[in-house]
Amino acid sequence: MAAANMKAVKLRIKSVQNTMQITKAMQLVAASKLRKAKDKAMQSKPYLRTMKRTLTTIANENTDFQSPFTKPGTNPKRLFIVIAGDRGLAGGYNANLFKFTEKEMEGQDYAVLPIGKKAVEYFRHRNAEIFTDEYAEVAVVTISECFRIAKSVCEAYEAGKFGHVSMCYTNFVSMMSQVPKSSALLPLSDFENPEEDQEPAVKNLILYEPSGEEVFNTIVPEYLAGILYTSINVSVASELAARRTAMEAATDNASEMIENLSLFYNRARQASITQEITEIVAGAEGA
Amino acid sequence: MANTFHLKIVTVDGLAYEGDVQRLMFRSTHGDLAILARHINYCTAVGMGTAHVIMEDGSERTAACIGGMCSMMDNECHLLPTTWEWSEDIDVERAEAAKARAESKLREDKLSEEARLLTEAKLYRALVRIGSARH
Repeated sequence: MAAANMKAVKLRIKSVQNTMQITKAMQLVAASKLRKAKDKAMQSKPYLRTMKRTLTTIANENTDFQSPFTKPGTNPKRLFIVIAGDRGLAGGYNANLFKFTEKEMEGQDYAVLPIGKKAVEYFRHRNAEIFTDEYAEVAVVTISECFRIAKSVCEAYEAGKFGHVSMCYTNFVSMMSQVPKSSALLPLSDFENPEEDQEPAVKNLILYEPSGEEVFNTIVPEYLAGILYTSINVSVASELAARRTAMEAATDNASEMIENLSLFYNRARQASITQEITEIVAGAEGA
Repeated sequence: MANTFHLKIVTVDGLAYEGDVQRLMFRSTHGDLAILARHINYCTAVGMGTAHVIMEDGSERTAACIGGMCSMMDNECHLLPTTWEWSEDIDVERAEAAKARAESKLREDKLSEEARLLTEAKLYRALVRIGSARH
């Protein structure tokens, strides 16, 4: 009985050790990839900031502005761009994002543009209307694909298929904390915010070539692509950070389990030896 | 110096250049243009072509500049191209390969309209990069 029990414990220790090896490896891989992903996410930030500032200036200083992207759409339908991961085992990374997205979508007529395998699976399972599931793998989305996405989204918006476009992604706050976030992409109503326009009296005259409207309409898809690319990079960094933390916890748990099991194993071993000695002594006395 | 202006070139891959320059030339969606110091406040969409930057000391650098926008506000120029590659960084072999690939694809007849436009854009990008690298 004791021997069989010991064997089972030994096997258990072995299997936990194997699992720990895997989680440890995943943790190290995530940590090394994370460094690169973080750099990439940081690099695209100045582009976004400068682009946004310029667009705001154009929108604020142009008095006769007419662009389909600035007026709120009449269609109540929303398009949600959801950026999730390709793989699981990243703690609550995907689940948190979906929970957050659900809350954002509540009570609205919507369609989804999922990016990342997990997002595609999730929304297919829920029978949500999917705009396109071409971009199933978030890890391989390139900047030119972002431009394609932005262009098709802008075309659909101009055609009146959606009245609003929002995006849900995971913001990288720090190595330890990643928070799901949503941001509105279209219409660009925040650009015409009168509060931002603090010096209405001093209007800078800007020369637009060929025309303000045309410049703006060419730039908007570029700006969207820039936002998308940055958000994807930030999300990928968040995913890796979440995976690193989750795998770190798993490794810690495994080593704790091994410790407990070894203690149990040694106790069982000791008990069986004591029992054997007692039996031998009893036998010797009996003889 | 009075005849220079501050130029900032930012792409999604980071800051490509920041500093004072004498002149910036590039191709916009409606033709080539040059920006000098004290240019009127100006904004345009960038096309595809070779860009030249005349530095503060008069030396010239060229680059392949594709897409994006350029704004000049109060002697401060922001160029936000989709792609910006200094001519010395361009991989000519890769561009030549892309050009050959696009050309052979265009020779096929059964190309859909969308695929044809995409391939033409690719070919044009390759040509711009090759042209910029030769400068």
